[in-house]
Amino acid sequence: MRDATGVEKTIWDRLFAVLVAAIYIFLMFPIVLVVLLSFNSGEFLAFPLEGFSLRWFAALFSNTRFLEATSYSFRIATISMIVNGVIGTMAAIYVARHAGSNRDRIRLIMTSPLLVPEILTAIALLFYFYEIGIGTDYSIGIQIGHIVVTFPYVFLNVSSALFNFDRSQEEAARSLGAGAWMRFRRVTLPAIKPGIITGCLFAFVISFDIFNISLLLKSLGSNTLPLELFDYLRFNFDPTAAAIASLSIFLTFAAILIIDRTVGLRSLRF
Amino acid sequence: MSATEAAPRIETPTIGIGKVGPVWMVLPALVLLIGFFALPYLTIITMSLREASTRAVYGEGFTLAHYTTALGDFYIWGILGRTLLMGAIVTIVTLLLGYPVAYHLANSRSRWTSLLYIFVLSPLLVGLVVRTFAWMIILSNNGVANKALMALGLINFPLQLMNNPVGVTIALTHVFLPFVILPLLGNLQAISPDLAMASRSLGASRMRTFLKVTLPLSLPGIQAGTILVFVLSISAYVTPAMLGGTGGRTMSVLVVQYLVDNFRWPAGAALAIIMAAVAVIFVGLYLKLTARAMRRLP
Amino acid sequence: MTALTIDRINKRYGNLHILKDISVSIAQGEFVSLLGPSGCGKTTTLRCIAGFERPDSGRILFGERDVTRALPEHRDIGMVFQSYALFPHMTVAENLSFGLEVRKVVPAERKRRITEVLSMVRLQGYEARFPRELSGGQQQRVALARALVIEPSVLLLDEPLANLDATLRDEMRFFIRDLQQRVGITSIYVTHDQSEAIVMSDKIVVMNSGVISQFGTPRDIYERPASQTVAGFIGRSNTIVGKVSEALGPDSYKIETLCGTIGTHGPGGLVNGTDVRVMIRPENIRTRRHGEAANTSTSDENVLGGSVVSATYQGNGTQLKVRLASGDEMVVDVSGRNPMAVGEEVALRFAPRDAWLLAS
Repeated sequence: MRDATGVEKTIWDRLFAVLVAAIYIFLMFPIVLVVLLSFNSGEFLAFPLEGFSLRWFAALFSNTRFLEATSYSFRIATISMIVNGVIGTMAAIYVARHAGSNRDRIRLIMTSPLLVPEILTAIALLFYFYEIGIGTDYSIGIQIGHIVVTFPYVFLNVSSALFNFDRSQEEAARSLGAGAWMRFRRVTLPAIKPGIITGCLFAFVISFDIFNISLLLKSLGSNTLPLELFDYLRFNFDPTAAAIASLSIFLTFAAILIIDRTVGLRSLRF
Repeated sequence: MSATEAAPRIETPTIGIGKVGPVWMVLPALVLLIGFFALPYLTIITMSLREASTRAVYGEGFTLAHYTTALGDFYIWGILGRTLLMGAIVTIVTLLLGYPVAYHLANSRSRWTSLLYIFVLSPLLVGLVVRTFAWMIILSNNGVANKALMALGLINFPLQLMNNPVGVTIALTHVFLPFVILPLLGNLQAISPDLAMASRSLGASRMRTFLKVTLPLSLPGIQAGTILVFVLSISAYVTPAMLGGTGGRTMSVLVVQYLVDNFRWPAGAALAIIMAAVAVIFVGLYLKLTARAMRRLP
Repeated sequence: MTALTIDRINKRYGNLHILKDISVSIAQGEFVSLLGPSGCGKTTTLRCIAGFERPDSGRILFGERDVTRALPEHRDIGMVFQSYALFPHMTVAENLSFGLEVRKVVPAERKRRITEVLSMVRLQGYEARFPRELSGGQQQRVALARALVIEPSVLLLDEPLANLDATLRDEMRFFIRDLQQRVGITSIYVTHDQSEAIVMSDKIVVMNSGVISQFGTPRDIYERPASQTVAGFIGRSNTIVGKVSEALGPDSYKIETLCGTIGTHGPGGLVNGTDVRVMIRPENIRTRRHGEAANTSTSDENVLGGSVVSATYQGNGTQLKVRLASGDEMVVDVSGRNPMAVGEEVALRFAPRDAWLLAS
């Protein structure tokens, strides 16, 4: 910033810049490390790098357990995203438009899964599903857990899109004769679409990543990808794990890129 | 303009004059969050009061025994103390590391800003297991950190960085750093740059401007960020479970062990509630302490 | 022919009585401004006409049609919003097309009308632009075009010039007025800017605290304000308290004040002894140095003596403050290069037709 203003830099500016750069490296280093090691041809998860190779990805794709876990995680994350995309958007519109004096109360309820530790929610759901007889025999328990935990991400992102949306656009559409459905489809929806996309992608990525809910609510024999990786690391410590981790990192970065291209990262809410 | 000829319809207006809106829109979400979030939390309480049983998940009657047993157990007190200490250290370190980053991002006009923002965000979006795994690679006995230190000649034997509280604390600091940066960033960006300029125009140095203007105005962001990190780190499961071994075991690890390995649900529920209660007490105290510092803020 | 009738509407929000028995009727093709300070109810009135608010009681008629309970989208209105409310994800042409599509106008006709209205607002060739690519004034004209292209029965404008800078605002006043007269559309214009209302309107509704203080032509309102509030809100004014001492005709009176007797005109029917205020606009007062010959004085001209308290140079003239014998201070505009000095004795002169009575 000061470069642009032309004000001279002091020694403190330079020290500060070095400090901040070091923290950015601290933030990114572990992630970069995993990706690097996943493409390393060596047998061990260690430096020095021995050469570029896709052998660990090959190992990964021949491992049916990992493939099944990936597809299971994908299924759960997709359902969480779709369900929350619909009910989270509807709830956000209701709270923004119709909640009146109850607005703050309902908003608190809607965001509450974010305000408590995930492990407690997982424990609560474990007991609850047992008490009401759902148990953990089927995928329904883990699926509901994922929907609950990722719900606030859609709600918050759509709410913030609605908050930034100039209501007089709807009134303008109305003054031009548009009915309720047309107003929503042609004016409101396009305006809040970035918020919905962001919220849904977010819900997908979080659902793909979360661990505690899956650990306690999984049904026998079906592991999500993070669970499978966790189990794998108990007995193995080889670059196949890095390949799985890389895969999950690529997925995350794809989502980040999409969000950055469509709405800009700074509009994220969580 | 045929619509103008139609008889005026009367319906519940959706703009301006609304009384009770279309409740159906929020109903699915309410059912989800009450049915599968609020009610389940109540079952933790009831579960913690059940009697233990060897034949079923819990026995017939109700008891306070799980609480009295837990609170009389020095081993559990030890783990609780370690969990809180680690939480406090992680909170302080993330604040010290996070503030410069938030400050830098808030004032950055460079075209690299959005890349740096990705640096802050991505650890948050990469799964916990993956991030902790990365730290296993770094901190293990022949891991990246020990190799580097030995290559530099600083140590002759590998340091024990894993399977103890040190490793867990380092990894948790990384894992939760974005959670202190983001609230602070929001707060710092909301402070008008005119205020700092006004301070400088009145003759204050940069440091003085920071200490007297920027820092006090960013207290709400500090408060929000530190509470978030504290609560997250004392309740973290994945990182201590993967990196902590027995020496770095925390409350969450103990609770999950009770529930999954030992099948002692009522006792585990009591431990979970003790952990939550302690967190609430600490956050409450912290809020009380910080309230004084923040009372001048708008 | 009456285009719009507002018949005794009331609106409350909880304990706040926002509109109290508002009644106005507006003729076809008229440009009527709702003028008043913020919170006076002018915007609420406009939103009641548009249908975004429903009055608690009373009726609103478009011509003969009772629209009190009709939804906004069924009212056939064109509205220009303070924020313009252009749809940011649509081009100029798509914004204009929106209302036509609702009305199921065929594509060829849509295109013709869009081209026509864009040339009216002097924005030919801007069809493919997005709102964010336009300046404030251009966005304003698109908003106007979007409201007009559907050929509504009433055009509603909610402080449309509030977000423009001063020069552009002056330009747009005449632009909107001119366009309105060419199209001949009945228009309701909400503003808090009195000079805007005076320049643009056929009639002005002056509102205050939810009631109509006065409804009349700009000339009525400026020259014959109904109350002290209206006089104070529109332009600058001096007032002197007094009592009616004699009625000279249906609308002319002699008023007894602390500075002597003043000849005025005023509303009819005031009886002797009524407490009144005499209002004189600063630009209608002429000054004469003490001792100067009264050569241009006519027989019925009022003359008040006083001394100059302050003189403020204003570029095109000087504003004097003159203290009268009664202690009242009068503001007087003086043109020319030879202003009075502070402390100088001065005679203030004004014709009875320039003095107007306000109820006290």
